Amino acid sequence: MLRSDPQARAALKAPAQVVSLRVNGEWREIAVKPRVTLVEAIRDLVGLTGTKASCESGTCGACTVLLDGRPVVSCLTLAVACDGMEVRTVEGLTDGEKLSALQEAFLEYGAVQCGFCTPGMLMSATALLERDPKPDRETINKALEGNLCRCTGYNGIVDAVLAASGQTRPRKE
Amino acid sequence: MQSELKYVGKSVRRKDGPDKVTGRAVYTQDVRLPNTLVGRILRSPHPHARIVRIDTSRARALPGVKAVITVEDTKGIKHGFVETPRYPPDQEVLARGKVVHVGEEVAALAAVDALTAQRALDLIEVEYEVLPAVFDPEEAMRPGAPEIHPSHPKAPSGLANVGGTTATEWGDVERGFAESDYVREDRFDCQLRTHGYLEPHVTLAQWENGKLNVWTSSMGTFVKRAKLAKVLDLPQSSVRIHKTYVGGTFGGKIDLYSHEYCACHLSMLTGRPVQITASREEIFNAYRHSQPLTLEIKTGVKKDGTIVAQRIRAINNAGAFRGSGVVVIFLAWGFTMIPYRIPNLKYEGFSVYTNNTVRAPQRGHGAPKVRFAIESQMDMIAEALGIDPVEIRLRNARGPGEKLPNGDDTHRGNLSECIRVAAERSGLLAKFGRDRSQPPKGTIRRGIGIGVSAYMGGTLIYPNGSGVIVKMNDDGTAIVLTGAIDIGQGSETVIAQIVAEELGVTPDDVKIISSDTDTTPQDIGAWISGMTYVTGNAARQAAGNAREKLLQVAAEKLGVRADELVAADKVVSHRLNPELRMTYREVVASSIAKRRGDTIIGEGFWRTMRDEPAHPSLATTRGRWTENYAFSAQVAEVEVDIETGEARLVKAYTVHDCGFPINPALVKGQIDGQVSMALGHAFMEEVLVKDGYTLNPNWLEYRMPTIHEMAESEDADVITEQYRVGQPYRTKEVGEGLISGVLAAMGNAVYDATGVRLRSTPFSAERILEGLRDLEFQKRKKHKEVRA
Ligand code: FES
Ligand code: FES
Repeated sequence: MLRSDPQARAALKAPAQVVSLRVNGEWREIAVKPRVTLVEAIRDLVGLTGTKASCESGTCGACTVLLDGRPVVSCLTLAVACDGMEVRTVEGLTDGEKLSALQEAFLEYGAVQCGFCTPGMLMSATALLERDPKPDRETINKALEGNLCRCTGYNGIVDAVLAASGQTRPRKE
Repeated sequence: MQSELKYVGKSVRRKDGPDKVTGRAVYTQDVRLPNTLVGRILRSPHPHARIVRIDTSRARALPGVKAVITVEDTKGIKHGFVETPRYPPDQEVLARGKVVHVGEEVAALAAVDALTAQRALDLIEVEYEVLPAVFDPEEAMRPGAPEIHPSHPKAPSGLANVGGTTATEWGDVERGFAESDYVREDRFDCQLRTHGYLEPHVTLAQWENGKLNVWTSSMGTFVKRAKLAKVLDLPQSSVRIHKTYVGGTFGGKIDLYSHEYCACHLSMLTGRPVQITASREEIFNAYRHSQPLTLEIKTGVKKDGTIVAQRIRAINNAGAFRGSGVVVIFLAWGFTMIPYRIPNLKYEGFSVYTNNTVRAPQRGHGAPKVRFAIESQMDMIAEALGIDPVEIRLRNARGPGEKLPNGDDTHRGNLSECIRVAAERSGLLAKFGRDRSQPPKGTIRRGIGIGVSAYMGGTLIYPNGSGVIVKMNDDGTAIVLTGAIDIGQGSETVIAQIVAEELGVTPDDVKIISSDTDTTPQDIGAWISGMTYVTGNAARQAAGNAREKLLQVAAEKLGVRADELVAADKVVSHRLNPELRMTYREVVASSIAKRRGDTIIGEGFWRTMRDEPAHPSLATTRGRWTENYAFSAQVAEVEVDIETGEARLVKAYTVHDCGFPINPALVKGQIDGQVSMALGHAFMEEVLVKDGYTLNPNWLEYRMPTIHEMAESEDADVITEQYRVGQPYRTKEVGEGLISGVLAAMGNAVYDATGVRLRSTPFSAERILEGLRDLEFQKRKKHKEVRA
């Protein structure tokens, strides 16, 4: 947040730049001011609101997207720094109407309650499974440690990631 | 009808699931309207100060600023969490004359973008005259303390800042203590914990054609509508709260918040939509958290552990307005008297104003603190008497068919059964005391402990009951109109299951339209632990009503009596002659043709305790409460590192009676979430406040459980079978009562691991280390005394 008036005035005056992003496979050109974050750009300018804005200070992971395949907190990423890069969001996880194995597992194993952490959680977990198709508990913990969930206690989330990677736990009845 | 259940009692997948894993689910922050202005709130920088002067002219003059309001622009209508003759509404939507806590709302404005709004806030000039402030409730009560508000007229005279009291007693406590074999008195405290909902507070308001459209992150759209309409001085029909998905609440989104009012007022002034989002820092600094409760408990028991008498004094640090403080001191009595039999009790509770942020309900609404205190003391008593923690609890626990002191009935509720199963499943007695009697090598100590709790569901508070409408579609499927709001607990799924079961369709055939105040019937909301019971039973009735109408129409068409027909799998057929049948599609078509266009609509309504007038008295506790009590016993296994003092929950066992579980997977989700929240309360979380200022207003410094802290959580639902036949809709509370027992169990387990008894939460590493050092010191002292 801007603390002083001259800072705010400068930010208001700064010219916009045109940035090209490949969002879920589609190239988009958007004009952004230098201080616009990636989460703002995705939600407000590209118009994909699946990515959530929660703390907007890099502490909760709700805004996680994949930038050239790597999970980043989009609230701490400036849109101008992403020019020419590929962005994947929760909207890009399905194949048409078909849910990914991970999305299916999230529903099957109780990984979703209020759903506000879910898009970010799914993106972190997708990145994890892409680089390590059979992660152990330790690896899962490391990959998801930046994503807070207040509803589930994480039990369902861990079960879902294990199941989606074929390391099924006994399904709860 | 219910001999074989098809969908009720099954872990049907969440209805909102596909929307939530694809990003399609629309939360309040996702609603976009053209031309929307950004609203911002100016907040008090002081905990207590007189407002000498507010000058908004420079802010108004800034290009891009569309409207600025202070309390002078409002109608001055007050609101409160409680609005009764004894406790009339006490708070205005913006500060008038003085501010009473840091972050209190002083002015609000709307501008074309966030930067302009931010700049404009800096241009509002407020002159304050700082007043002496008080933050500790016991200091605030003392005569001569800085007065935040006058004490309640019925408060004991001479005490300052007492916003409300609860007092009740039965039997004769003094005689009870005299007749006891063992008496002890302890004092317990707890920290300020925040709800930690991931979705921030956010409201979008649009005034158009004399109608206010509102999207807001809440726990009950009908309660919000009632409160908003009142402070805006509009008829309820002029306010429409739209449905949005809600990203977590845990109690923190039921009160009316100033930003909700301001977004509406600013939209009415500008004719443009206004959105106000609270930043996480604002939420930590200025919004409502939990209620820190101090409990002094004196308990007298017989040699065998039977409770004879209990005297409790509860002091609630209620913050700068009444909030739900006076409810918490009432509930603290309730959470005391439900689980155990107490033949003689004297209870007094004080809700005290301090210059802290206002308090809100929080999952459990006082129960975690009360049960932590009582269950800790139970273990201390057991140890002093030389009996085990299971035995002392079984001696006092309530069973089925007991009358509670307020006249309510436990029905089938059976705490003893919960305790027995929890002890057995966890191997409690075999593990208890192990590491204390034979400390293992290394620095890790294991401990185990038990705690119990009970919670009521569906009590009477506005709007008291829920209605549901089931509309049949031409194709034989159904649309359900319900005011129930899904805050993540899964209400839409549960209602779909119930309607499917009763109507003879599948849950996929049921489409839910929910929580929109214009298009759905009134609903109690997701905040008094009764939605599955109250709205669920309304849904059952509505579906049953639609089914009867289907049967009636089919009977006319087939030329038989309606009671000879059955409805199942979208077909109405004759009991004896299944050839005689009509599909729902045909029945609906027939109804539309024959009844000149009438389609089939079922209606249902439900209220707890239909014959009771209202909620019991907050001041005297008199009056019945509910017909719905859930009991639970929980066991925790913890690990403590005696070198660092760090403790963690390893495994929790929850044994509960939630009535009949409509959806066991959703029940399990509630349990796991509560265990997680409880372990945060036990070991990690505390809003640190100094002189009214929050010191750790972010999730880096306020630590909530991450995936690393995930604990194994096992649960067992007891008594279920008794409900299956004939009473599958006898559901009970499961969404907030289960933080309490496990929190208490963790305290007892820390003691079991280390010998350190903590009377305050959180059980931080520092406190545990200090306790260990103290034990060491006591040991050495004893050693010295022996040698001397
Ligand atoms: S919103 Fe980006 S980390 Fe919280
Ligand atoms: S599901 Fe609500 S925060 Fe994770």
